[in-house]
Amino acid sequence: MEAPPVTMMPVTGGTINMMEYLLQGSVLDHSLESLIHRLRGLCDNMEPETFLDHEMVFLLKGQQASPFVLRARRSMDRAGAPWHLRYLGQPEVGDKNRHALVRNCVDIATSENLTDFLMEMGFRMDHEFVAKGHLFRKGIMKIMVYKIFRILVPGSTDSTEALSLSYLVELSVVAPAGQDMVSDDMRNFAEQLKPLVHLEKIDPKRLM
Amino acid sequence: MCVLYDVLSIVRDKKFMTLDPVSQDGLPPKQVTIQVGIIDLNQKFNKCHKRVYTVGKISAFPLALGLSEEQFEKCPDRDNPQTLQLISKKKSLAGAAQILLKGAERLTKSVTENQENKLQRDFNSELLRLRQHWKLRKVGDKILGDLSYRSAGSLFPHHGTFEVIKNTDIDLDKKIPEDYCPLDVQIPSDLEGSAYIKVSIQKQAPDIGDLGTVNLFKRPLPKSKPGSPHWQTKLEAAQNVLLCKEIFAQLSREAVQIKSQIPHIVVKNQIISQPFPSLQLSISLCHSSNDKKSQKFATEKQSPEDHLYVLEHNLHLLIREFHKQTLSSVMMPHPASAPFGHKRMRLSGPQAFDKNEISSLQSSEGLLEKIIKQAKHIFLRSRTAAATISLASRIEDPQIQAHWSNINDVYESSVKVLITSQGYEQICKSIQLQLNIGVEQIRVVHRDGRVITLSHQEQELQDFLLSQMSQHQVHAVQQLAKVMGWQVLSFSNHVGLGPIESIGNASAITVASPSGDYAISVRNGPESGSKIMVQFPRNQCKDLPKSDVLQDSKWNHLRGPFKEVQWNKMEGRNFVYKMELLMSALSPCLL
Repeated sequence: MEAPPVTMMPVTGGTINMMEYLLQGSVLDHSLESLIHRLRGLCDNMEPETFLDHEMVFLLKGQQASPFVLRARRSMDRAGAPWHLRYLGQPEVGDKNRHALVRNCVDIATSENLTDFLMEMGFRMDHEFVAKGHLFRKGIMKIMVYKIFRILVPGSTDSTEALSLSYLVELSVVAPAGQDMVSDDMRNFAEQLKPLVHLEKIDPKRLM
Repeated sequence: MCVLYDVLSIVRDKKFMTLDPVSQDGLPPKQVTIQVGIIDLNQKFNKCHKRVYTVGKISAFPLALGLSEEQFEKCPDRDNPQTLQLISKKKSLAGAAQILLKGAERLTKSVTENQENKLQRDFNSELLRLRQHWKLRKVGDKILGDLSYRSAGSLFPHHGTFEVIKNTDIDLDKKIPEDYCPLDVQIPSDLEGSAYIKVSIQKQAPDIGDLGTVNLFKRPLPKSKPGSPHWQTKLEAAQNVLLCKEIFAQLSREAVQIKSQIPHIVVKNQIISQPFPSLQLSISLCHSSNDKKSQKFATEKQSPEDHLYVLEHNLHLLIREFHKQTLSSVMMPHPASAPFGHKRMRLSGPQAFDKNEISSLQSSEGLLEKIIKQAKHIFLRSRTAAATISLASRIEDPQIQAHWSNINDVYESSVKVLITSQGYEQICKSIQLQLNIGVEQIRVVHRDGRVITLSHQEQELQDFLLSQMSQHQVHAVQQLAKVMGWQVLSFSNHVGLGPIESIGNASAITVASPSGDYAISVRNGPESGSKIMVQFPRNQCKDLPKSDVLQDSKWNHLRGPFKEVQWNKMEGRNFVYKMELLMSALSPCLL
C-alpha cells in the first residue's frame, strides 16, 4: 500500500482509501511502433521500460452471489521483485461527467508464498495469463501497453499463445478518494493520443 | 538577331545547311549577308547546286525577316539592303523586348504575392523553431506550451503553461522593424520578471524587527545567446522563476516541518536559521518583476558581496537531483500493476524491515539540511583560512604556511599547515599539521601522530597554532644542535616549572657545546616568549664564592652558574639564526 508523502495528506487514522482511475483502449500490432514513439515523446523523459508479468486471478466463492476476486501478479523478468496482490472493487457509479472508470483499489506487496497462502485461505485460481509490454509514466499517470498471452499448460509459463493480434493500452492513476481533477488530466492526456488510440472508460459489467 | 543565332546554330550542325564564302563583287561592303547553302543530298548536281544557292539566298532572306512574299513586294525600297537591315533590327528588338516585358511582369506578380504571404509563412517557420525547443500542444484553437519541469520529474503543482499568440499588430504600409517577430508568447503572470535565490551568511544577529526586508540586488539578466529570439529568453527567464519558486517552497516546507535544536524562521520570502551561535544563514527568494515601478527601487546598488553563489548553484543542483530521482527506473513498478515507488520500499513489507531499516532507506536529509551543512562547512573553511592568514601577517618568526588541497568535498576540505623558520626550512620541519575541516569540527593530525579535534570556535584554532609555534622554536633548537654538533641534555614539550601559560604549555631544551664548556638552556612559551640562559664554566665566572669544598682546580672547568642572554639585543633576523650565532660564538675555533 503506497502511502502518500506526509506533506500532502492529513492522515486521519487507519489506511487511506485509494481509488484507481482507469481508461482503456487497444491498438493493432502494426500500429504499435507509432504509438510507442508518440508515448515516448509525451511521457516523462526516461529510458523505456519493458515488463513481463504473470498474473493469476483467485476467486473465493462465499455465500454471496458474487465471488471475491483477488489478483496476484509476479514479475518474470525482474528477479527479487515482490509479488503484488490487488483487490479491485466495483466501479463507482458516479455522474456521467466523470471521464474515467473509478474503483476502490488495495495494493499489497507480498512474499513469494502468496499462492500457497491463498489456497490455504480457500481461494481457487480462476484463470491466469502472461502480460508482456511497455510501461510509461507521466507524473502520477501510468501508461501500460501490453499483449496478453494465454497459458496453454496450466502452471507453466513457457507455453503461451497470444490472445489477439492487438495490444491493450491502459492509462491508470492510483490516487486518494475524492480527487476528481485526476480524471480531467487523464482525459486531456487521452486527447493527445486521439488518432492513434481511443482511450475510454469501459465498464466491465457491460462486457459480461 | 535571334534568327541569325538560330541559323548559325543550324549551320554548325552541318546537316541541313553549310556556309560558303561569298564573292565580294557587286555587293557593298556594309552588307551583312551570309551565303546560305542548302545541302542537297544528291551530290551529282553540283552545278545546279550553286544556282540553287543564289536563288536560295534571295528567297531565304525575306523569309528570314519573317516577311511574307506580298510584304516583301510592297516594301518601297526593297532593293535597298540598308532598309531591310533596319527593319530586321527593329523586328528582332521588338521581339526581345516582348520577352523581357513578359518576364518582368511575372516577377512583379510573385514579389507582391510574397509580400502578402510573408507574414503567414514566417509565423509557421517561427512556430517550427519554437517547437524545436519547447513542448507544444494544440487545445481547441489555442496553442499551449509547457515550461515546467514536470516532464523532468518535478512534483511542483504549478501548471507552467504558456500560450503562443500571433503578433498581428503590424502595419504593412510602414517599414517592418528589425526585431519584428510574428510570434509572441504569453507567460503566466506570476512567472514574469526574473528571480534568484540569495544565500548569505551574516555574523551579527539582527533585530527581530528587521526580518522580512531582504536586500535584493537587481542582478543583470543572464546574457542570452546572440542569435536566440526574444521568446526564448522570455521563456527561459520564466522557467528559472518557476524553479526558484519550487526550491524556495521545498525549503520553507522543510523548515517548518523538520525539528531542529534551533528552530528556523520563515518570514515572507526569507528563511533564517542559525548554523552556529552568533552566525545567521539567510536564504531568500528575490523575485523582481519587469514593471517600471520596481525598477526605480532597484536602481540603488546593493552590495552583492555576501551572496554565496556556490550555495545558490548547489541548491539548483540539489533540486535537479531530486527531480531525477523521481524519474529513475528504480521507481518503476515491477510487476507492472504495482504502484510507483522505490523498489526497496516495496520490499520492506514482504521482508519485514524494522523501523531502523526503513528510516535508513528514506532519504533522511532534505534540501534545507543539506544546504545548512554546506554553509557550515564553507563558513568553517573561511574562518580557518582567516585565522592562518591573520597569524601569518601578525607573527613573522616563525613563519606559518598553509597548503590547501585542490580537490574538496562539499562537506570536507583539507589543508596542510607548516610552521617553519626562514632560512632553516630543511632543518626545522618538525611541526607539520594536517587539518581536515568538516562540517562542525576541525580534526588536526600532527606529524608525530597525535590527533586533536577542535570545535568551531575560532579562538581554539588560534590558540592551538600559537602553542605549536612556540613548540616549533624549541624543536628548531633541537635540530640545530644536531647540525652544529651540540648535545641535547634535556628536552621537554610541556614543562611543569615556571609561570603557567594561559595558552598551551611552555617547552624547554638544554643543549651542551661539543667541548662541554658551555650549555644553553631555552624556555619558550606562547605567551611568555623565549628565555635563554647560558651556563659558563666556573673558571670564567669571577664572582663565585671561594669555598674549601673544592680541593682540586680541575673542578673549575665544570659548568657553573647561568647567565641570561638579552635576546632582543642579539644579532640575527629570527630566533634560529640568533641561536646559531650564539652557538657558534660559544664553540670557539680550534685553530
